[in-house]
Amino acid sequence: MPEKHHHEGGQNPYLEKRRTDTETRALEERVRKLEETLTSRGVVSKETLDRVVDIYENDLGPLNGAKVVARAWVDEAYRQRLLEDATKAIRELGFGGLQGEHMVVVENTLTVHNVVSCTLCSCYPWPVLGLPPTWYKEPPYRSRIAIDPRGVLREFGLELEAAVEVRVWDSSAEIRYLVLPERPEGTENFDEESLAKLVTRDSMIGVGKASEP
Amino acid sequence: MSGIEALPRRSGELAFHDEWERRVFALGVALCEQGEFDWDDFRKHLVSSIAENGETLETVKSEGPGYYEHWLTALEKTLVEQRVFVSPESLCRSEKS
Repeated sequence: MPEKHHHEGGQNPYLEKRRTDTETRALEERVRKLEETLTSRGVVSKETLDRVVDIYENDLGPLNGAKVVARAWVDEAYRQRLLEDATKAIRELGFGGLQGEHMVVVENTLTVHNVVSCTLCSCYPWPVLGLPPTWYKEPPYRSRIAIDPRGVLREFGLELEAAVEVRVWDSSAEIRYLVLPERPEGTENFDEESLAKLVTRDSMIGVGKASEP
Repeated sequence: MSGIEALPRRSGELAFHDEWERRVFALGVALCEQGEFDWDDFRKHLVSSIAENGETLETVKSEGPGYYEHWLTALEKTLVEQRVFVSPESLCRSEKS
């Protein structure tokens, strides 16, 4: 089992493929047959499949979540609505759909740091964060974040003071969590758009903080 | 400078290793959005496929099926279950067509 849990660069062990070239070819064939069977019967069209890939790779992404967070930072009433009914508040900004139901937003403060995982599979709020990074789906993160959250966060470069309580939230089909990170200091005069640029995907999973201005 | 431009919108980290993973992901999402099955039914198969591989919180594996292989297995099972077709290899006429 890999010891390091860093998520940058090409050395990340969780980015390793698990199958050989031969096995990959067998999988390619299996998917090709499945796709062909479904498209030839008109169950789904190739155009639809291409559109789905395009939407999920390009349109749905952490940029959406960043807008939600930035709005909550500048608009206290919105922040309240977001903490009370996240699904509804997120939909106000036009984001919703598959895997975006049953959202709960957990807020980081000076004394509480939240981090999100899914120990069973890899539930993830697609509409606001896009597709999950590979490490999120791999067993090492899913298991270790529950057992040793501080240790895992340290490997992500996030050192938390001992006084800060770490809360790990386990996503499921019933609830998907999004972290509302702390607004960075020195951003009092920033507008919503500038603030959104500071909100990283990692800060909304809770393995990082929002960027310093 | 880390701004919106720097956010991995296209996932600088590999979201997919191979093209087949991208295709099977799209198949699952498209069929669910079209109402061929409920997400929760698919998810149950995904969870059990991962569990059947012996992957639990205590036993972490670095070999065997990867994430999208479980996804593929779950999708096949769901489609058979929902009678979109009888078996992945089958060429029987879809009951939904």
